[in-house]
Amino acid sequence: MPNIFTLVLQIAVILGACRVVGTLFQKIRQPRVVGEMFAGIMLGPSLLGWMAPRFETYLFPSSSLGYLNALSQVGVIIFMFLVGLGINLKELKSQGHAAVLTSHVSIVGPFVLAAALARFLYPRLSDDSVTFTSFALFMGAAMSITAFPVLARILSERGMLSSRLGTVAIACAAVDDATGWCILAYIIVLIRAAHRQTPLWLTFAGVILFALMMIYGVRRLLQGFETAYKKRGVLSDNLVASMLLLVLASALCTEWLGIHLLFGSFLMGAIMPKEQKFVRYVLDRFETITVTLLLPLFFAFTGLRTNIGLVSGSQMWIYCGLIILVATGGKLGGSMLACWITGMRLREAAGLGTLMNTRGLMELVILNIGLDIKVISPALFSMMVLMALTTTFMTTPVLELICPQEVIRREVENASTPEVGLNAVA
Amino acid sequence: MDRHQSRNFAIAYTFLVALPVLGLVGVLRSGRVLSAPLSVEGIWKLQADSKRSLALPCARYIASPRGTAVAISQSGKDLTLSLVGEPGLMAAGVIEGTTLKAMFHPSREGAGQGQCQMHRGLLLNATVNGKANPRSLTGNLSVADCFSCPPVGIYGVRQISNGQPH
Repeated sequence: MPNIFTLVLQIAVILGACRVVGTLFQKIRQPRVVGEMFAGIMLGPSLLGWMAPRFETYLFPSSSLGYLNALSQVGVIIFMFLVGLGINLKELKSQGHAAVLTSHVSIVGPFVLAAALARFLYPRLSDDSVTFTSFALFMGAAMSITAFPVLARILSERGMLSSRLGTVAIACAAVDDATGWCILAYIIVLIRAAHRQTPLWLTFAGVILFALMMIYGVRRLLQGFETAYKKRGVLSDNLVASMLLLVLASALCTEWLGIHLLFGSFLMGAIMPKEQKFVRYVLDRFETITVTLLLPLFFAFTGLRTNIGLVSGSQMWIYCGLIILVATGGKLGGSMLACWITGMRLREAAGLGTLMNTRGLMELVILNIGLDIKVISPALFSMMVLMALTTTFMTTPVLELICPQEVIRREVENASTPEVGLNAVA
Repeated sequence: MDRHQSRNFAIAYTFLVALPVLGLVGVLRSGRVLSAPLSVEGIWKLQADSKRSLALPCARYIASPRGTAVAISQSGKDLTLSLVGEPGLMAAGVIEGTTLKAMFHPSREGAGQGQCQMHRGLLLNATVNGKANPRSLTGNLSVADCFSCPPVGIYGVRQISNGQPH
């Protein structure tokens, strides 16, 4: 049984820290989520554990972390549903070939560079329980992800959702995330297959069958939610509970099939009806508790697993620098090059590259999975968390430098696309 | 989109997407020959092969004759060892080939708890059998810079790796 006093104390401290640091970060024009990510790191061994080890052991005894993890995972399951809900792959089609090319380059670019870097890092930061293929694919998937919700938040705060840059960025980020999660599912199946009795082909067949059933079967049934919403302008509590039950059922199915809980919740969100008002309504119903209570627990849990002390010595810091350089070069450089080639102005192309380089919370979700399945070591996990923080933190100032808000405002004046995104989630 | 634009798109796609994907396949294939350090990550049960461990300060905590659970966290060659349920004793170590070396020293937390008072480090030197399933190790524990302290032989078997019991 959990020590309820410890658990409630932990939640209170985490919520307080996330609110304070998040607010401070907002004052320096960073999205709140970046501050909350930093707050999580501060509560772990990297700062609190280093400065006051006894207090950290008292506050977060290792025996209590299982409960904190369980609560945070529930939050991430709902969060991934909301991410899937916000993603509309049809947007990519409307952006034409330029967006298709940009999106694919922004996946392939960092993926190839990450795999090349994996050749260097594998003998240094991995061990023989992980195959090079799994390691390289994971590094590729982790570096090619874009934090769709954080990106939407930044675009919304800067009034850029209606700009050409904003719409292309949103469409590309949606494709990147969907692709990244598919690759990650493949890696998880490969790694978990070693510990399961079920043959690999059967697992893949099961996953594909489940996905097809969801896309072509369950999706049609979900239209009922939209119909009910259109009829009354609200969803009854029973319908909201049913939606949540479906998310959990889908998550359990993918976990049982051998991939991960989060794929099921993401897929359920992705196949939900995409009518803008409906999406906004569902986001509003689920966001508050997820964003204010459950996600901070996830940030804290991630922070407790992040030990920057493991990145010790000049050699390790060089590895960390290389990771940040490759992640930024591949994502920012790749997207920028593709945009520029397809006719975007250099300033716009650089702006889009900067936006695509935002990794934020999505990166932390992927990294935690990587650490859970042991495809990355604790030191590499800490380096990748630093990379996620750096690339997310740099987005707003670099964007301001490249695309000042005045210029964007003039450009948006003629646009008419309504703004719908995962505003509060980010 | 006219024919000219389609051709440009196809060329750009080939150079920016298709060719890098081929490059990725090449990297993945060439990387198969790479070898990483032996995996020792997980929970190990270390056992001292004699009661001489009682004579060494703190050795009975690390490898008692009845067996002690030691958690190893691994990042490449670098290791962190800690006693399960005894956060006071920590060790930093490395694995080179099949040789595992670690130096136990009481952390700031453990030093004041009176469980064991070490003034000098306790050195673990062992050879890991990578072919055994589950993996095992044999070696000894000795007091650093103490030539009069006899080393204690130890034997260990990995109980849990990758979160999976053997």
